[in-house]
Amino acid sequence: MLKITNLSASIGDKQILNNVNIELAEGRCLLVTGQNGAGKSTLLHAIMGRPDIAITGNIDLDSVELHNMDCHERARSGVFLAHQAPPTIDGVNTMTLFKEVQKAQNLDITTGNLIKQVKDLSEQFGLPDDWSKRAFNSGASGGERKKGELMQAEVLSKKTKLLLLDEPDSGLEQSSRQKIVELIENTCNSGGSVMLVTHDKELQAKYNDNKLDLNNA
Amino acid sequence: MRKVYLDADSLDLMLVPVHSEYEFVFIQTEGKCTAKIHLKPQSNAKFKVKIYIYAEGNSEVDCVCTLDVPKDIDGVETDIQFRSWPFDKSKIKARPEMFIANSNIIATHGNALGAMNKEDTYYLASRGISDAKELIKQSLINA
Repeated sequence: MLKITNLSASIGDKQILNNVNIELAEGRCLLVTGQNGAGKSTLLHAIMGRPDIAITGNIDLDSVELHNMDCHERARSGVFLAHQAPPTIDGVNTMTLFKEVQKAQNLDITTGNLIKQVKDLSEQFGLPDDWSKRAFNSGASGGERKKGELMQAEVLSKKTKLLLLDEPDSGLEQSSRQKIVELIENTCNSGGSVMLVTHDKELQAKYNDNKLDLNNA
Repeated sequence: MRKVYLDADSLDLMLVPVHSEYEFVFIQTEGKCTAKIHLKPQSNAKFKVKIYIYAEGNSEVDCVCTLDVPKDIDGVETDIQFRSWPFDKSKIKARPEMFIANSNIIATHGNALGAMNKEDTYYLASRGISDAKELIKQSLINA
């Protein structure tokens, strides 16, 4: 259960969120809507623990006080954020990043199986053959970066208790959008929760029954 | 061609480039490494050199890459790039030197510091990684 109580968030002098309250049960997906600048991404980053977002209020995940943890501790506690604009990280080899994530998060998978899973997933997503050998996101298009985020979400799915999806569909072709639905369904079916920010009408319609509108929050 | 040097102390290489790309990787976790790479191309040689340097703790790396093109060597095209990651209290000195006596040569060079910016650090933290040192080191070894 994700329980957010009286969450306010600001960046510098600008207050973005004011007294947001959320209760999200296991197995549920919450659609977060609002106009540009309403604070949808800020809400997800505040939950993830982005250091330049100052917050007040409580963020509890299964009674674990996320608000008292650093970002990397929240990730290790089962929070996964698929970033809207994942960066290029020079000098960081993509496959090595997966291996270091495996170590940091104590994933229950051998290195050999991890390498196989990453290769299989990159084939499924139609990523270039050398994708995992490159520097992270080097030369990647917007769509390829999004696929990389979904792949990581897939690899970490067994550990994920709260999946935060920040416009995962933008730049993706229709066939890959089905992967987003599968990821949400799989996360919910295995007892996790999902928060989804999207401008995609089909996805909005699909998850419209449980909605937080930040315009009116 | 790719060569990785782990905790080297002294290195003096003379190279007549025949490949299109060379990568030299220096990983220094302790002590001081002094590396000299001399490039002596033949006429019309076209090649790139990338030199990656990682240092941690109190280690030091002093690396110079020298391009030597005398007057009778013609049509060389090359690019020499340094990239350095100094962590902790380590020190890295990295510099290209070019001695070119022929006007029909294209030679470029660059030198960049690979410090992590806030966005990269946050991204890695969001994957559970609190210290990028090991990630950079393993990336350079395994690339």
